[in-house]
Amino acid sequence: MIALVTLVVLSGITLSILLSAYRVLFGPTIPDRVVALDNISTNLVAAIVVFSIRSDSALYIDVALVIAILSFLATVAAAKYLLRGTVIDNGSAR
Amino acid sequence: MTSLVLSTATRFLLPLMLLFSLFLLLRGHNDPGGGFVGGLVAATGFVLYALAYGVEAAQRVLRVHPRVLIAIGLLCALGSGALACMSGQPFLTGLWSGYEIPVLGKVGTPLVFDVGVYVMVVGVTLLIIFSLAEE
Amino acid sequence: MIDQLFILFVILPVLTAVILFAIGPRSVWQQRASLAVVALLWAFSLYGLVHVLQTGIVVLRMGDWPAPYGIILVADVLSMTMVALTMTIALAVTLFSLPTVDRARQEHFYYPLFFILLMGVNGAFLTGDIFNLFVFFEVLLIASYALMALGSDADQLRETNIYVVLNLIASAVFLLGLAATYRIMGTLNMADLAVKMQAQAENPLLTVLAMVFLFVFGTKAAIFPLYFWLPGPYFPPPAGISAFFGGILTKVGVYAIFRTFTLLFRHDPSFTHELLLALSAATMLFGVLGAISQMDVKRILSYHIISQIGYMILGIGLFTPQALAGALFYIVHHVIVKSALFLISGAVQETTGTTSLKALGGLATRSWFLSALFLVAALSLAGLPPLSGFFSKFIILQAGMHEGRYGYVAIGLLGSFLTLFSMLKIWNGVFWGADRAPTRPAGLRPLLPGVVLLVSLTIGIGLFPSVLYRVVDAAAGQLTDPRVYIEAVLGPQTPGSGILPAERTSQ
Repeated sequence: MIALVTLVVLSGITLSILLSAYRVLFGPTIPDRVVALDNISTNLVAAIVVFSIRSDSALYIDVALVIAILSFLATVAAAKYLLRGTVIDNGSAR
Repeated sequence: MTSLVLSTATRFLLPLMLLFSLFLLLRGHNDPGGGFVGGLVAATGFVLYALAYGVEAAQRVLRVHPRVLIAIGLLCALGSGALACMSGQPFLTGLWSGYEIPVLGKVGTPLVFDVGVYVMVVGVTLLIIFSLAEE
Repeated sequence: MIDQLFILFVILPVLTAVILFAIGPRSVWQQRASLAVVALLWAFSLYGLVHVLQTGIVVLRMGDWPAPYGIILVADVLSMTMVALTMTIALAVTLFSLPTVDRARQEHFYYPLFFILLMGVNGAFLTGDIFNLFVFFEVLLIASYALMALGSDADQLRETNIYVVLNLIASAVFLLGLAATYRIMGTLNMADLAVKMQAQAENPLLTVLAMVFLFVFGTKAAIFPLYFWLPGPYFPPPAGISAFFGGILTKVGVYAIFRTFTLLFRHDPSFTHELLLALSAATMLFGVLGAISQMDVKRILSYHIISQIGYMILGIGLFTPQALAGALFYIVHHVIVKSALFLISGAVQETTGTTSLKALGGLATRSWFLSALFLVAALSLAGLPPLSGFFSKFIILQAGMHEGRYGYVAIGLLGSFLTLFSMLKIWNGVFWGADRAPTRPAGLRPLLPGVVLLVSLTIGIGLFPSVLYRVVDAAAGQLTDPRVYIEAVLGPQTPGSGILPAERTSQ
């Protein structure tokens, strides 16, 4: 039962990643692409957690946590770059 | 200059990320994790802080120069290996203390080695990112 | 107990690098500590060589894990000879660097990088595990990229770019080869690999692996079709670095060929070693022809590295004990003399500001001593008796005669004749004739100690060749009988029973 449910969920996530990938490749504006990338990484985290349920092992949860942190950071950095033109301000720019 | 949401969130996230990095470091002996990943997560925390408040603020929070962290980390890692040499065993042989410490369990030189890796990874990552930001 | 100290060759350089890194680049201790540590390691490497000669192969198991599983360092005579050689050159280069490395370079961590380089080189010579060979290769390459790019004028960066890209390609192929090896053999420990490769000598994939590794190490060692990168990057950096790179770095590749083609890939010498012979002939010839066409001291010397690597590969290709001993003798001679010549060209550069033959001339009237040093080293490189070059070439070519390979012997003789020719060209262009070279205020005297050390070594080897011959003969003995190496690492073997991993000694 679990196997079937997780399989369905995983295919749903895969589909979602594919759709976002379309946006990354052909998205008309840069913010589109950034949001799509963020969406991919969120889906990836979800996929890992589902896979962790499927394989009945808690080890993958940490992997999901680390990926979540990194993708959050990446999205923040990208957003900041789009808005201000720099990623990290050094002291003099303030 | 900052976004209110980001800077407020960062203030809560930095300690959480450091805690998580320590968790990864400590359980790395038998499970996935260890000094390298832990160090990367800790460095990510400081990078987030630099994103929200700027490089100078992040350097103030870090307190020491990343270069010092690299040196301390390498010395820790090498020292833990050399301890075994001093007692006549091959380099890097794990030496374990006899009794258990609560939470951590049995402690030995592999933990010191991992702590060294952790500190060094934090140092290297931050040195790279700070230098890039200062250009 | 003394065996455990062999780890110092790898960790003492790192430790020094870390401490030099932390105390800040402006400290006077950068220079003092560097010299002290290098001198200490040099003395210990000579002692270690004697120790290995007397008591046999030293095996260090990191963390006390037994051989096929854990990381091991293996110090046999070949490895220790190479380490002792490395430390000798390191000492000479450090002596030369103290007065010549400028402030800017020192402030950008010249000395820590040099120690990281030493760690990589020593580790590559000592490791008993082909994956760790890769790791140490990367360590030394990263340090060498940085040392090469330090100073960063446009020429230097362009040449460094070529070097970096080429080495990245070679490293990627190396990694693929390692993955394939692990897939086919299930191990990466060299002794264990040797056992398993012997057991399935008919496997055609072995020859494929041999070719992959030959490509990788051939790129690093600059043998025939892959040598085109070499002369460029050795030209722009300061002479101390050129001397170490020209002397030692390519020889790490040669060492790796030595190790893999005597220990691992001995299943089909009629193909693999025959191929090495052909490549060696081409390398000898093309290198020396390249040297003849050059008009700059450092570039001539760089091309000669290529042609002389040919002689070493010739020794491996012949694959008899005498040829291996000769090739190793040749490595020792070549590294010492080549580094000495690079340091002399550096001294010329320091005192005149150029190394171009067209701009120089008549330096003999300025310093007879420097000219004498150059003449001795150059004649030794060309192989005139009674210097070290004569004996090394003699041993290899005699081994070639024994095997009836007269063609290769002829090419070798032609190569050394042309070497003599281009050395005389440097002599005529730089030292002979009227003094028309530009002058710079730098003093010559502080530059000489390292050069004198190396030149007196080549004279010493020429006067007492039997001392060195005993060492290389012992090394060749160990190389031709890989059982010695395998049993030192894995413990006693019973033929045909596969591996018997040693018991783990303690928890």
